[in-house]
Amino acid sequence: MAAVIGAAFLWPKPASGFIGESSRIVFFHVPCAWTSTLAFLVAAAYSALYLWKGKPWYDDVAAAAVRIGLLFGILTLVTGSLFANVMWGSWWNWDPRESSYLLLVFLYSAYLFLRAAVEDPDRRPRIAAAYALFAVVLMPFLTFVAPRITASLHPQTVINPQGKILMDTPTRAVFFGALAGFSGLFAWLLSIDARSARLRRTRENGRPT
Amino acid sequence: MSGLSRAWAVCAKDATQELRRKVAMVAVFFFAATALTLVSFAIGPFGLPAADRPALEAALLWIILFFAAATGLPRAFVAEEEAGTGLALRKTVPAAVVLAGKTLFNFVLFLAMAAVTIPGFLILLDWKVGSPLAVAATMVAGGYGLAVVSTFLSALVARAGQRNVLFVLIAFPLILPLLLTAISATIEATAGGFPLTALRVLVAYDGAATCGAYMLASVAWED
Repeated sequence: MAAVIGAAFLWPKPASGFIGESSRIVFFHVPCAWTSTLAFLVAAAYSALYLWKGKPWYDDVAAAAVRIGLLFGILTLVTGSLFANVMWGSWWNWDPRESSYLLLVFLYSAYLFLRAAVEDPDRRPRIAAAYALFAVVLMPFLTFVAPRITASLHPQTVINPQGKILMDTPTRAVFFGALAGFSGLFAWLLSIDARSARLRRTRENGRPT
Repeated sequence: MSGLSRAWAVCAKDATQELRRKVAMVAVFFFAATALTLVSFAIGPFGLPAADRPALEAALLWIILFFAAATGLPRAFVAEEEAGTGLALRKTVPAAVVLAGKTLFNFVLFLAMAAVTIPGFLILLDWKVGSPLAVAATMVAGGYGLAVVSTFLSALVARAGQRNVLFVLIAFPLILPLLLTAISATIEATAGGFPLTALRVLVAYDGAATCGAYMLASVAWED
């Protein structure tokens, strides 16, 4: 991660068509968005595993993945807002893509509200898993379809109709390095959060589960 | 008894109960009428610039329909828990069948509400519709999506605390893609076009939501 952060500021030249150094945000903004999406997919996968196998550990991982996904989702919004202020002169523009990401954050915040609202500890993981899986079925409409129905200011360097990544070689190298680094950071945070949830559960139940 | 006829029986039971008590119906129609009156009083037929009218009218119409629906549609499963009939229903009818029956009832309730709201909207706001068929298709596709998602989420929150607030919190982000697409389709239909792309998206959303709800119905509803 340290190498990626250093390279992000020093190696690739700023992209043309962007004000000043603002294009460098791509090394942080897109990996945050990628990581939060990955986290929500992991949450769905572990929710499915919980419903299949019934092991509480899978629910711990799913809940931890949502919490970390939300953290990266908020970072996506913050970095996007910084870029928007430099490029378009406003912190928030109700651009379809930034609005859809805000809604994605709401969608998974609702997962945590739902968990908190179900008092029965046996039903809570089932209800949360059902919601996580239902949300992931409808998530593509929020993140990929709805933002493309109306015109967007958002740059299309990664996801675009041409299906190509529009970057030079140094930019591409740092970009993919950042994706790998953020994914690794996610895996590490997930492991800590899920293990800590398991410890809390063990303490509450008085025995390992 | 086949699954379809049992789903129909659940829908008929809900309709009979609703006609007897009129809780959801009164809430939905009263909210729609109040919101419509408020909107027409605030802007009337001449309060909007002509260029902005199609977009604003479509957005206002769907906002009225969504919030009116949100007052009645979530009662599908919540009403069973409040009446103490949830356990009996769980023991006698498979969850997917209950979900199908309740979705059907909610869909009919939505269509009935739209059938009352839209003429009011046409008269009070002098709404000009270029393609009534396209508006009707949008109402059917959008209304079905709204019904299936609301019904499934109603099953999820039926035994949770603060369920009315919780329903709006969890429903809004899930339903918003449907609302945005429905508004976009309504704008195009108002201008006289046929919103084929938006309708395809709505049908795809409806299909995805139906499959998700069907597969997860037993998890959401049964113990």
